[in-house]
Amino acid sequence: MKNFITIIKSDYLQRTRSYAFLITLCISLAVAYSFIPAPGATYSTIRIGDYLGFYNSPWIGYVTAIMTSIFLSLSGFYLVNGTIKNDINSKVGQIIATTRVSNFGYLLSKTISNFLVLCTIAFIIFLMSIILFFLYNERFSFEILQFITPYSLIAIPSLFFISVLAVLFEVFFIQKSILQNVLFFFLFSILAIYDHTDTSKNFYLDVFGTKIITFQMEETVKNTIGKEDLGQLNIGFVLGNVSEANHFLFSGVDFPIGYILSRMGWVIFGILLLGLASLFFHRFRVKEPFQLKNRKTLLQTKIDNDIDISILPKVALSFKIFPLIKTEFILLVRSGYKWLWILNIAGMLGLCFAPLPIAHQMILPILWFLQVSRWSSLVTKERIFSTHFFTFASYQPLKRLLLSQILSGILLALLLALPLLLRYMIQLDFMHIISIILGGIFIVSLAVLTGILTKGKKLFEILFFMITYANINAIPFTDYFGGLHHQYSYLGGIVILVVILLTISYSIRNIELKRI
Amino acid sequence: MKLDIQNVSKKYNSNKYGLKEYTLNIENGILGLLGPNGAGKSTLLKMIATISKPSNGSILLNKNNIVKDPNYMRKQLGYLPQDFGVYPNLNAYEFLEYMAALKGIGGAQLKQRITFLLEGLNLAEVAKKPIGNYSGGMKQRIGIAQALLNHPKILLFDEPTVGLDPEERVRFRNLISELANDCIVILSSHIVSDIDTIADQVAIMKEGQLLCQGNQKTIIDTVKNKVFEITVNKENALNFIKQRIVLNTIRKKETVTVRYISDTVIESSIPCEATLEDAYLYTTKK
Repeated sequence: MKNFITIIKSDYLQRTRSYAFLITLCISLAVAYSFIPAPGATYSTIRIGDYLGFYNSPWIGYVTAIMTSIFLSLSGFYLVNGTIKNDINSKVGQIIATTRVSNFGYLLSKTISNFLVLCTIAFIIFLMSIILFFLYNERFSFEILQFITPYSLIAIPSLFFISVLAVLFEVFFIQKSILQNVLFFFLFSILAIYDHTDTSKNFYLDVFGTKIITFQMEETVKNTIGKEDLGQLNIGFVLGNVSEANHFLFSGVDFPIGYILSRMGWVIFGILLLGLASLFFHRFRVKEPFQLKNRKTLLQTKIDNDIDISILPKVALSFKIFPLIKTEFILLVRSGYKWLWILNIAGMLGLCFAPLPIAHQMILPILWFLQVSRWSSLVTKERIFSTHFFTFASYQPLKRLLLSQILSGILLALLLALPLLLRYMIQLDFMHIISIILGGIFIVSLAVLTGILTKGKKLFEILFFMITYANINAIPFTDYFGGLHHQYSYLGGIVILVVILLTISYSIRNIELKRI
Repeated sequence: MKLDIQNVSKKYNSNKYGLKEYTLNIENGILGLLGPNGAGKSTLLKMIATISKPSNGSILLNKNNIVKDPNYMRKQLGYLPQDFGVYPNLNAYEFLEYMAALKGIGGAQLKQRITFLLEGLNLAEVAKKPIGNYSGGMKQRIGIAQALLNHPKILLFDEPTVGLDPEERVRFRNLISELANDCIVILSSHIVSDIDTIADQVAIMKEGQLLCQGNQKTIIDTVKNKVFEITVNKENALNFIKQRIVLNTIRKKETVTVRYISDTVIESSIPCEATLEDAYLYTTKK
């Protein structure tokens, strides 16, 4: 047992003692702050028709717990996913494989470590929710249990199950991180959309445990106004003039014992799944990422030549950027799995033949999201592959290398969007053409900034996933490619954002190069 | 070519130095940097390679301060880092083309130069295969090739023989000797045999400081007439070893032959001819 705890502790400390995790916590704080809109804000997070709750303890506690359960589950998978892969890459796995730790013990320790990482973030959000209560105090009394209860019953079991899923995906889809990302994206979409006809009783299949709360909120509003038709329930960042919304008093939920058992059931189900997965766990008998097909041939290269320095042709100075862009583009195209290009081609065909609104609003963001792994490694691959000793010692690395990386990333985005661009070109619809080009530049700029800032891929992957999820749900706030907005003023905003992102990226990389 | 390292320090925190007030002058030829792990060899090479900046002091190449103008060094640098990686999806030819572009070199002759280098380093037959499939030694040869791409005037090799088999080591040493005719080569290692056959000058480092520098003869002379061998019983060996600077021990059935350094001769000891390894161990252990 002591060894088991030591494994969890070491794994947890290894993952949390990083600059990237610190940034994640800072972003969590900012996101948590947005969960409860400030009075006068022009968006809402949970809204029942025209009704919003007064900012009392139950409303703030439950709303933030719901948002944590959904959004931290969504982003948390990407945050914690990869822990077994790290053990494979660092070769620690080979040592673990020779120890007495059982497959189940190892997978459970990884799950608990994942869970603790997510709980750390949830705790930060929990603290922020209490701060927000006092910040937006509407003279309601502070009731700590109205914060603790929803977090314990709604968020914690969801986060545990997501931690299990992250491990399961790694067991069954060994080192196929792109496949894991894409599959989880679809799984999450199914889980989130899944509707229960009678949520007051049928909450057993609700992994996020939120629907009973939203049902209770709707019931409270119905009882308050005496009307059955309330309008739509909105969860997420919904833009709109909330100052005109009516308010109702939400006093929390009396959880039925069945609900509490169902939440425990999800935890137990997760552990059972781990037990099942442990039967299939590879125990680090995995192929190297670049397993040789004809290793013997390669290793038997004859050593019979010597370099004659005197006959080496002289080379000339050349500061052209094109060879760099070419290689950066080749690196982008060749990274990831070849089968992903089948999806890319399918997506491009979709851009050719699908109705324009669907092609622009649905297919394009998904097609771009499929490149998440490529763009996330755009400026981080030097560290990943330890080539930074070469690149940082190159001639003018900031002006030449960074620029070529950005341009190659944009080139990929535009190449994928080419069918749609051509369709708009035929229609002489320059507004949409500019929107898509700016969208490509924006997403690459975001990849560059997050990569330079964190020196890792995770933050961009999480952000891009959330943005794409919001795009598919037609949330205007995240419309970076002009799928929903058709004004030049909006495009102007994107241009400003791109300039800001690139300026910060350039400045930070400049500082980084000076401080190495 | 002249490289002047003047009072260079690399400070990590208030108490910890990677390198402390290091001064060294180098002209054309081979300088072997010897020192145990953590001596600061890689730190020094990184600073010369302009990928790390000194906390204090200056590094001058032909009187140009490369701390302020790193591109002056980068134009004429060939650098083989200790722990370098490659992009596994590129083949050797593409990788070298990329490295050439990073270094700011090109022209009509580039392709030919890459081909010559790949042939000379025995990589021509695998030049079109992804580097991810290469063995450690082959990757090391790719590293050597990229260091020679730009006709460098200053070459830095950090532990270059790691991963090379004995035959490759010999070839590499020959290559370095040839290169050193018209440029500065700095070669770091903690394996004395990598250095003693080729280095014109040797610098011994420990804990971020330069302990001594000079040609091999000068350094070996510091232990001249101080190296001995003695054969003792196994029971007495441990006590003997504890009290002296021991260079080597050979265990036999009943006895242990100990090679040691001492200012005074111990009875029944046999004087030995001093080597660079003796001088290195003496300098770093005393």
